[in-house]
Amino acid sequence: MNAKFKVSTAPHIRTSHTTSRIMLDVLIALIPTLLAGIYLFGLRSLMVVAICVISCVASEFVFELVAKRPITVYDFSAAVTGLLLGLSLPVTAPWWMCVIGSIVAIMLVKQVFGGIGDNFLNPALTARAVLLASWPTRMSAAAYVAPNYFGSIDAKTAATPLAGSGASLIDLLLGDVPGSIGEVCKIAILIGFAYLLIRRVISWHVPIIIMLSTSLLCWVFQGGGISTPLTALLSGGLMFAAVFMATDYTTSPMTAAGQLIFAVGIGVLVAVIRSFGSYPEGVTYAILFMNLVTPLIDKYVRPRIYGEVKKSA
Amino acid sequence: MKKRSFKGGVHPLSRSHEGKALTRNEKVREFIPEMVCIPMNLHLGAPSEPCVKKGDQVKMGQVIGTPVGALGLPVHASVSGEVLDVGEKQQLGAAKVTCVTIKNDKLDTWVDPMPDIGNCETADPKLIIQRIKDAGASGMGGAAFPMHIKLTIQDEKYADTIILNGAECETHLTGDFRLMVENPVPIVDGLRAVMRAMNCDNGIIAIEDNKPEAIEAMRRACEGRSGVQVRQLKTKYPQGSEKQLITAVTGREVPRGKLPIDCHVIVMNVATAAAVADAVNNGKPVVRRITTVTGRVKQPSNLLLRIGTLAEDAIEFCGGYTNEVGKLVAGGMMTGIAAPNDDFSITKAMGGLVALDTSEAISYVEHPCIRCSRCVAACPVGLNPATIKKYCDANDLEGAKQHNVMDCIVCGCCSYTCPANRFLTASFKNMKDKIILTSRRNGGKK
Repeated sequence: MNAKFKVSTAPHIRTSHTTSRIMLDVLIALIPTLLAGIYLFGLRSLMVVAICVISCVASEFVFELVAKRPITVYDFSAAVTGLLLGLSLPVTAPWWMCVIGSIVAIMLVKQVFGGIGDNFLNPALTARAVLLASWPTRMSAAAYVAPNYFGSIDAKTAATPLAGSGASLIDLLLGDVPGSIGEVCKIAILIGFAYLLIRRVISWHVPIIIMLSTSLLCWVFQGGGISTPLTALLSGGLMFAAVFMATDYTTSPMTAAGQLIFAVGIGVLVAVIRSFGSYPEGVTYAILFMNLVTPLIDKYVRPRIYGEVKKSA
Repeated sequence: MKKRSFKGGVHPLSRSHEGKALTRNEKVREFIPEMVCIPMNLHLGAPSEPCVKKGDQVKMGQVIGTPVGALGLPVHASVSGEVLDVGEKQQLGAAKVTCVTIKNDKLDTWVDPMPDIGNCETADPKLIIQRIKDAGASGMGGAAFPMHIKLTIQDEKYADTIILNGAECETHLTGDFRLMVENPVPIVDGLRAVMRAMNCDNGIIAIEDNKPEAIEAMRRACEGRSGVQVRQLKTKYPQGSEKQLITAVTGREVPRGKLPIDCHVIVMNVATAAAVADAVNNGKPVVRRITTVTGRVKQPSNLLLRIGTLAEDAIEFCGGYTNEVGKLVAGGMMTGIAAPNDDFSITKAMGGLVALDTSEAISYVEHPCIRCSRCVAACPVGLNPATIKKYCDANDLEGAKQHNVMDCIVCGCCSYTCPANRFLTASFKNMKDKIILTSRRNGGKK
């Protein structure tokens, strides 16, 4: 039988959601946050983010070239990592810290373990944790300047990145508080969240459950200067991380029930670290911890298989 | 009425009416070919043994292949005329098949009909199953499972519900839809015959809600008939998959590793029911079926085709291809077989021929899994396709089995939804075959 036509296995159609399209959607969803960051902290924030994105993409390219792996920078996943890392750094971050963070994220966390889909920790978050541990002063309270609206960077500094100390809810919502470039403006984060939901890149469950459980527990514990659930929700990097970091496909469980456990776990850990820990902010470590638990969750939480438990009357 | 459904699933081509818009309003036209090439493996199970030879004159409906083995079925001539050849030919399967080629004399001289046993409402229930076998009725929805085997059940088992599958959830296909709209009465007749044969007084015709005309027509045909009704289903793939359909209609589940009869249900396709009616009422075997010829052809159509009609003849009848064809799919987009060329025969289970042009016939390239879990959400069985795929890639039969690959129904939802274009479904089908083969080699031990 001579072959005239293309032969392939079923199904013969696929959805338009491809890996690169999904990553592009995440990049688009982060644009409002980036613009808000630039508006609040000035052009230097754009520089921090740009260095991170460029060095992440370059790290991926170089590693894959050296390791003789297929070049995957076109799937935008390295750019997403860079953008997330940049947005989670303070505007005062020096250029070399951005570069080191990017190399850690891409080479150490992602590529060494097999590249996209095989890393068990969120690359951007791990890099942030590494920077936090390596240069505590450059990543701690002192580094987080308050928004200066294109003014000079040293205009005013704040006592704590967790803005429980006196900032009004409106300030918290709009981002007129000290913090990382991307985490302060909650309105921008919510716009990105809405976009991701509309594009069906993520579902609402994980972010909403994290936000709800954290804010309620912080309020119950009454630690870290947080007085109401709403303050807890709008403070620090909680919302940014819940929307953009905890929803990372690779490092979160695959089943709906597993994702519920994952999200509640993060919520509880953040509240505990914020209220009782020595760090004012615990989102980074909470998510990284739950990343590590993810394989375990996936192993034990499996959906019921059709016909497994006889339901029939 | 409440629309019924199942867990998981996908919505392929939902923005273009599941690809059905091209042919849903096309009335069924009959195409009478110059010749037919009838393969002996029209049904699941061992191919039939040809009982005619080159030069014989055969009449329409005459038995040209006798059943072989437990799942065997007779094969009937779909035209009258001279046998041109009995020989092996490559069809869509892996191995060549014995085929009987008959030149059509265009007279449609019927062989004497099978003995009169009354009609679907009056026939002796004991004779119905034998009649269904003699008519060569096998599942016309795609699986080609011999119908009489489904109806022959052990004494302690019973059926309390017969479901007719009118979901037609595959993309592009509209043959069942046209049959329900244009000729609903035989469908109800066939359902009644099976209900009487199985001593069951509950018959349900299940139809997806994207076919309101069919629902209306079938409701009217059911009026005044005993114990039959129409149920509306949500439009979602794979609504027409046997197990998913049973759950959607009855709320029951077929226990793992068991058959529908183990939850007291028998499912058959609406076209099969119409064929059963023809066999019981008129004593005629299955020699025709409605097949949708669509996609990049000049005149997309629903054709009433003789079994054994060559695909190229049917496509020629529809005015030929309009674009350069990249892929020809026998069946719908989700489970159809991509044919290497158009020189193959229409079988009893072939519901459609879809021609795709070169831009639509995409060669997908596998990218790494990003664990997005879309496949987990889409799987109607509740499997974790991404994880099973790892075991398939590693050729780990035990691991794949432990992750329940044998429960996979090969519906294609996981592959369809995968952003990394991974060949999930194909790997699972392959793995299932391997596991079955290995267990056979080990003497049937698990």
